[in-house]
Amino acid sequence: MTRTLISQSQLRRGRGRFLYWTLLALVLGVFSLAFIGPLYWMVTGALKSGQEIAQTPPTLFPADPQPQNYIDAWYRLNLAKLLFNTFYYAIGAVVFQLVLDTAAAYALSKLRPILGNVILGLMLATLMIPAMVLIVPQYVTAIDLNLLDSPFAIWLPAVANAFNIFLLKRFFDSIPEDLLAAATMDGAGPVRTLWSIVLPISRPILGVVSIFAVTAVWKDFLWPKLVMPSPETRTVSVGIYAFAGGTPMNVVVAAAVIAAIPTVIFFLIFQKNIMSGLTAGSLKG
Amino acid sequence: MSVPQYRQVAALALAAGLGLGLAACSTKSGSTDAAGKVTITVDCQPVGAQKELLKNWNADVEAFQKLHPNITIKSVSVGAQCNNPPDFTARLQGGTVTDVFYGYMTDLQQVLDSGQAMEITPYVNKDTIPTWDSIDAAAKGVFTDAGKVYGVPVKNYSMGLVYNKNLFQQAGLDPKTPPKTWAEVRAAAKKISALGNGIAGYSEYSAGNTGGWHFTAELYAQGGQIVSTDGKKADFNNTMGKQVLQNLKDMRYADNSMGDRQLLGWPDLLTNAGAGKVGMFIGAPDATTAIVTQFQGKYQDWAMGPMPGQDGTAKGTLGGGEGYFFKKGLSPEQVKAGLMWLAYEKLTPGKGQFDYVRSKPQNEPVGLPQPQLFTVGSDAHKTDLEQRKANANVNVEDFAAFENNPVTIKAEPPNAQAIYAVLDGAMSAVLTNPNASVDDELRKAEEKVNQILATA
Amino acid sequence: MTNGWVGGRKVRNHLTGHLFLIGAVLCFAFFAWYPMVRGIVMSFQRTRRGVTTWVGWDNYERIIDDPSFWTAWKNTLYFTVLALVVGYAVPFFVAILFNELRHAKGYLRALVYLPVMLPPASTLFLFKFYVYDPSDAGLFNAILKALHLPTSQWMQSPAMTVPAMVLASTWMNMGGAVLIYLAALQNIPGELYEAAELDGAGVWRRILHVTIPQTKLILSLMAMLQIVATMQLFIEPLILANGAGSQDSATSVVYLIYQHGFFQNDLNGAAALGVLMLVVLAGFSAVYLRLTARPE
Repeated sequence: MTRTLISQSQLRRGRGRFLYWTLLALVLGVFSLAFIGPLYWMVTGALKSGQEIAQTPPTLFPADPQPQNYIDAWYRLNLAKLLFNTFYYAIGAVVFQLVLDTAAAYALSKLRPILGNVILGLMLATLMIPAMVLIVPQYVTAIDLNLLDSPFAIWLPAVANAFNIFLLKRFFDSIPEDLLAAATMDGAGPVRTLWSIVLPISRPILGVVSIFAVTAVWKDFLWPKLVMPSPETRTVSVGIYAFAGGTPMNVVVAAAVIAAIPTVIFFLIFQKNIMSGLTAGSLKG
Repeated sequence: MSVPQYRQVAALALAAGLGLGLAACSTKSGSTDAAGKVTITVDCQPVGAQKELLKNWNADVEAFQKLHPNITIKSVSVGAQCNNPPDFTARLQGGTVTDVFYGYMTDLQQVLDSGQAMEITPYVNKDTIPTWDSIDAAAKGVFTDAGKVYGVPVKNYSMGLVYNKNLFQQAGLDPKTPPKTWAEVRAAAKKISALGNGIAGYSEYSAGNTGGWHFTAELYAQGGQIVSTDGKKADFNNTMGKQVLQNLKDMRYADNSMGDRQLLGWPDLLTNAGAGKVGMFIGAPDATTAIVTQFQGKYQDWAMGPMPGQDGTAKGTLGGGEGYFFKKGLSPEQVKAGLMWLAYEKLTPGKGQFDYVRSKPQNEPVGLPQPQLFTVGSDAHKTDLEQRKANANVNVEDFAAFENNPVTIKAEPPNAQAIYAVLDGAMSAVLTNPNASVDDELRKAEEKVNQILATA
Repeated sequence: MTNGWVGGRKVRNHLTGHLFLIGAVLCFAFFAWYPMVRGIVMSFQRTRRGVTTWVGWDNYERIIDDPSFWTAWKNTLYFTVLALVVGYAVPFFVAILFNELRHAKGYLRALVYLPVMLPPASTLFLFKFYVYDPSDAGLFNAILKALHLPTSQWMQSPAMTVPAMVLASTWMNMGGAVLIYLAALQNIPGELYEAAELDGAGVWRRILHVTIPQTKLILSLMAMLQIVATMQLFIEPLILANGAGSQDSATSVVYLIYQHGFFQNDLNGAAALGVLMLVVLAGFSAVYLRLTARPE
């Protein structure tokens, strides 16, 4: 085992061992409480009636569970449509990013067309621009292009993600030249090479990009709020916020729980990929 | 795949994508075609949660289309709050408003500024809207600019004191005589909050622009105004404005009769009211509708009195309302169709929103004193009043105090939403900070409002 | 220079290369580069009733004169600094802690990252209604009361507004930082710790002299990224405080942009404020990178 701050041997002997196990128990307890606690609170709170919520001290378990709140939330906020919309936008965003950003990164990395470096530079420069600064002019541009309430208003800006291109390009850069040279020897053009050789190897990085793309769309708030104003096209976060203005508290939180469930499921399924994706991005800073 | 093949695929994908995208764009405008068939889009259709209202609306659309077979109405729902300022602004800027679109009485300037307004003066007459001449002149005036008509009013309201009869009784107060001055309100609030259990004797808004909205109403009660008559400067940083905030501060901190939870927006206060935790608040009759239909309250619990004044009758109260505007670029037939629909649904006694026979069994309140769209004494008004009385399902007596003590109605100030947002700050300050300085808060608010007025 | 492909294919490769690039380039053009320019242009214009005029520095003056202007910057900076202390130092030490544990690491990592996956709107409504409830029925107040500590008004108290937002934001976001630090920590060669221990260094000194220097690069990068991200505070004020909060204590710069653009119908002013924000953040990043890019 790699040596870390405290040596393994210390942890095995007497006092060190005692401290370690105590600390472990404490950490597990505190962190479980701190991170699962609020979620538990959210789920059970949405089951409580308006009266019970206002009670002091608060009850640990709803005395008279009202799953009605969840059903109300589902119908009143039209959560089916909101969830569908958000899925639709998220998947579309992934597809667009995978196709267009991968193609761009491949071109910048392997094909090296003229002005490629300039384009790359301009793309990376956008990393220095904070997203919120561009919100107003982007919004006005979306209006000019007549994209309001159109899914393209989410898909197209999603492609303009310099971080993705950076990650993808770096990965492609690391693919040995000989591999590609061998393909060329066999008569494959750049497209063929991309399709048959590069992409299969790139599965991990493509996975990471996809996961981040989905998460980004699901969590986004201000942009979808501006460009998807109609209740028919809203995303789930925006929809909940919009309805918070006319719905009892419990129903709003019930809706919030329902909105969070897909992300939790997604997380549980793709846990390993997410974790490794984060660490891959962090190595070498 | 070779390069030429790839290009083919790419072109197909692009075309498919564009096709999908265009299909995904919903059409927001109607049309007039050669055969004389007119289609218009109308928004503020009730949302799914408002089951009965939605049913009524759809039934009315069908009936209207039967009466006028050449007109098709496409209804669009824009959410529970039809004019949610950021969304409304976004729709105006993006040009995605429907042909006939809902707005508040205070929205005229914004609609004009956006360049989306259509002048409808030549089309508004007895043919399109039979009751036009009977409609209250002030309500119509709000939608008129320099003699040109841009919108049609469909609802108006004025504010009074809404109170919970039950809590009054429990606190030993007479539910038939609501407090008439702020001093009486304060005394009543104290008694009611003494009931404990998280009950607020008097409750007030301070977030989501509703704080400023109520500040305005209470300022009018003092006899003040938000902006000077020429509309160029803020005019509330004076004894009257200070009195408004001081009244609230006293109840909040000296008496602790306003409850712990502040920073309330529209739904928060009504949620508490529906749960029986609010003794009194300023509101219009439709607040009780909201409490019952959306926040699980009961009609029997609520009554209204007139807006309280400082030393006697209130010197004024806030009135407001809503209406529909028309989008620029409509054909004359579309405008006429829109007007006829509005007349049918909103401006004809016995039909649409005034169909009391229909609303009575639906838990929609019948018998509330507002909206009061028709000029008192006109035929339309008489008919409406009779039908209201005949089909009342709320206790009309409960609103007698409010109805029988009319207070001068003053309109909302220009740039209302922006100004309300500013005044929210002053309201929230006195309601959440025991050390807030009323003078400071008003001064800050005044500066901000002056800025807004200067750039409008 | 050479990419391995021979002679005459080069022209076709350039063409193919550009073809591959065109999709992304168009998206960047419309949604990154053009808006950048447009934002700056808009900040010098005024559009009323469809007519656009040039107004020079007017928008900037108006924005700066907005009484909330300095408050917004103050709140945002306060949030950023507090978030740096709480949301930056804490994840680092949590990562160190996790790194020392030999058991349940997978569980802890998942635990800490879960909130990052949730939609912020969901989490913030949870905090707004149940956790930060100023009456004793709220989760935090109930806990404080049980511990016999004074309860707080949370979002209703101007003093507690920003700390409450920082707490919520940290809970929502620290998972990502923890995992990134964990990965970096795992790259520290064990011999350095052994050497330090042999030299008699206690745990704290080992952290100071081994852990931190070894992770300097990632620490410095994360600090900059965090500062830039937290300066763009928007959704916490919007949902937790209904926007401006008690006495304007929650107004952030981005919220002010939103207010001007969509409540006051002043898109040009909003654009101007956006440009100001860009100048501040870009300037900060440039200075920061210059200072930290010392030759190693």
